[in-house]
Amino acid sequence: MNEGTLTAATPAAPAKTGPSPLLGWLLHNVVWIWLVALVIFFGAFNEYFLTLFNLQNVLVQATVLGMLALAISLPLLVAEIDLSIPASAGFSAAIGVLAYSSLGLPWLPAMLCGVGAATAIGFFNGLCITRLRMVSLIETLAMMIILQGALLAITQGKTLTTMADGYTWIGQAAFFGGWPVMPLVFLAALIAMGVMLRRTVLGRSIYAVGGNPVASNSAGIRVDRIKIAAFTISGFLAGVAGYLLASWQMAVTSNQGSSYLLYAIAAPIIGGVSVFGGRGNAVGVLGGVLLLTVIQVGLAIISVPSFYVGMIGGVMIFIAVAIDAFRVRYFG
Amino acid sequence: MPEPIPHAQPAPRGTGDVILRVENVTRIYGAVTALRDVTVEIRRGDIHGLLGENGAGKSTLVGIISGQRSPSSGRIVMDGRELDHVDVRSMEEAGVFLVTQEPMIIDSMTAAENLLLGIWPNRGGFVNWKTLHAQARRMVEGTGIDPMALAGKLDAVTRRKLNILRAMFSGGRVIILDEPTAALTVADRRQLFDFMRRLKAEGVTFIFISHYNDEILEICDAVSVLRDGRLAGGSDDVGSLTSERLTELVLGRGLALFQRERRDHTGVAPAVSLRNVRARDVDIAALDIAPGEVVGFTGLPGAGAKELAKAVFGLNHGSGSLSLGGVAQSLPASPAEAIAAGIAYLSDDRRREGSVGQMSIGANISLSSLGDRSRAGFIDRAAESGVVQHYFKAMGIKAPTPDYAVDTLSGGNQQKVCLGRVLATKPRLLIVDEPTRGIDIGVKQDVLAIIDALSREGVAVIIVSTDTDELVRAVDRVCIFEHGRVRETLFGNEITVERVRATVQA
Repeated sequence: MNEGTLTAATPAAPAKTGPSPLLGWLLHNVVWIWLVALVIFFGAFNEYFLTLFNLQNVLVQATVLGMLALAISLPLLVAEIDLSIPASAGFSAAIGVLAYSSLGLPWLPAMLCGVGAATAIGFFNGLCITRLRMVSLIETLAMMIILQGALLAITQGKTLTTMADGYTWIGQAAFFGGWPVMPLVFLAALIAMGVMLRRTVLGRSIYAVGGNPVASNSAGIRVDRIKIAAFTISGFLAGVAGYLLASWQMAVTSNQGSSYLLYAIAAPIIGGVSVFGGRGNAVGVLGGVLLLTVIQVGLAIISVPSFYVGMIGGVMIFIAVAIDAFRVRYFG
Repeated sequence: MPEPIPHAQPAPRGTGDVILRVENVTRIYGAVTALRDVTVEIRRGDIHGLLGENGAGKSTLVGIISGQRSPSSGRIVMDGRELDHVDVRSMEEAGVFLVTQEPMIIDSMTAAENLLLGIWPNRGGFVNWKTLHAQARRMVEGTGIDPMALAGKLDAVTRRKLNILRAMFSGGRVIILDEPTAALTVADRRQLFDFMRRLKAEGVTFIFISHYNDEILEICDAVSVLRDGRLAGGSDDVGSLTSERLTELVLGRGLALFQRERRDHTGVAPAVSLRNVRARDVDIAALDIAPGEVVGFTGLPGAGAKELAKAVFGLNHGSGSLSLGGVAQSLPASPAEAIAAGIAYLSDDRRREGSVGQMSIGANISLSSLGDRSRAGFIDRAAESGVVQHYFKAMGIKAPTPDYAVDTLSGGNQQKVCLGRVLATKPRLLIVDEPTRGIDIGVKQDVLAIIDALSREGVAVIIVSTDTDELVRAVDRVCIFEHGRVRETLFGNEITVERVRATVQA
């Protein structure tokens, strides 16, 4: 686990192990060290990278990815996976936009319809995985395909752009000095998630269920309910991510959200969320999200020819994951 | 606390030459010396017992002999030849094989495929099934194992035998068995011992690790005892040893075995009443337990003792009524309901069902009672830390702080964490299933004493156990199960090891 990098609170679920404190510390914080190194590297290459404007840009770029990464980390923490998150974000945004433009609802209830749809999808995924014992990898893969198809069907392949000013406000508004508003939503979600995981019975139960579902059941935790709760919250976050993305881009394309899938899975894992469940925290997810965003933005800014961007970005992610695997192997 | 104990040095004897000699081996991990100048000789064709508490250095020694770890200093001599570059491969080439507690068996393959795992006879990558099955049949000859059976369907003892056979036919001349009797029934254990004796007659040498003195005395020819990383003693003639002497060597002191002061509960209003409880392998018309009473459940596997315990805790589906303190209700449908009703359960499968290994000791202790220590879903940290500190101390868990992961603890300490978690729910009925299986003899007494103390506070206790020795010392009453029913109940002075054993087997 990446513990207490930003918040100095005492660890909740995690535990002390291992020898060689300095190397252990370095490896535990590898995401953050790697992040700082890349910022310095990109900054040295192009002075524009370290400007305030670009920092604001990085924050905006990180917001949608961050919300999706938070959404994906919850199923991961209970040792499941939800591949339908980005598709759900796209689909629910279309619902939210169409409820305004076609049904004539005011933008706020329309937006809430969208978020509600995503939440319901998460709840439904949770039900399928617990009550019907469906395998989450396949169930959510099927759900992803269904939602992508449904988005294409309801948009009829067109891009939706009829949005209320109220709807697009959050994605466009800025404070004094050009500070964008949108990242505040991510910040709030991040804090809420951190508090939930560390301080609440639900959070502790999520770690326990992900760590050992059989023992958790014997310990009196209602394992199915916890998993359903994780999927439902995750769906809600996906809905908010979808809203933010549509508001920011002022459009819902017929394949909105889908391109985020692999990055949204990679970010929490880079940030220390275990695919085997029970390990990871909100601060780590933030690290993973910022790292991926900095790589994307940085490569664009130092004008790496676009043919190479994907490959170089992939290698950087690979290195981060390899270092993390090394940490897990030697330091637990 | 090193005390002067007369060392019975392992002197080479005339009969049987030495096949493996561990010479002045020391192993240091950072600041910890796990093994200090240990010398052990294993004679060819012996079953050599290795005894010691958790943390005494058994695993380290076994790791060094099997090549998983290298010694900081000292030598290993096999067949008179010093092995200098020690790793698993070279030890296996020399003929030393380790059979671990968790059988290395692939459930979805047949016994034959498992026996030849990784060395399937093949031509150009295509498995030659005919040769494979012929070889496997030769290997299991006379053991009663069906080579075509799916490994996942085999019982625990057969799975262990498969591992031993595999080691033997891979050229194993010294086979290390790490607690091979863990989770075996009495009958299985006997079967395993017969099997070991048979292989011994064929010239295989065994190093046998166990927590149980009676097993060592029954099967071993020689024994070495480790304590605090040193060789505390040993003998080439196990026949001359007694269980008490072994315990003394293990602990460095005589051990006062726990003995409960039995109490008579006749005429007391029951704290727990079970009526018409039916579940798989369970058919109980009526069973009452008084407050503060400790009842032992025992019987052959499948007789209903364990099954009843699980049904009462909501782990097995069952029907019937249960009343706790006079309030009748139907049998709990889940552990969560059972805990809410005031029932606590300690599983016999500590690794799988006991604790969440990667979480801290503290988080595990509070896991079952978080609801009582939270407000509006938020954990009350002061209350949690209070209960954690209390049980961390009361259970005597050996760790610097409760922040350490449960994974890092020994089996006995893990069991104490589980017990702490269970007790923190303040149960009115405590059910413990094989509470001392696989833990040190010293810690066993601690665990039994904790259960005893709890019963004195008025908690009704059920101990499910197949360890008769222990059961008779810990209970007020013994229920012997058969076909899902209580066939016989023993009280007070009727409770003796012989009587219980005879009744179970009858």
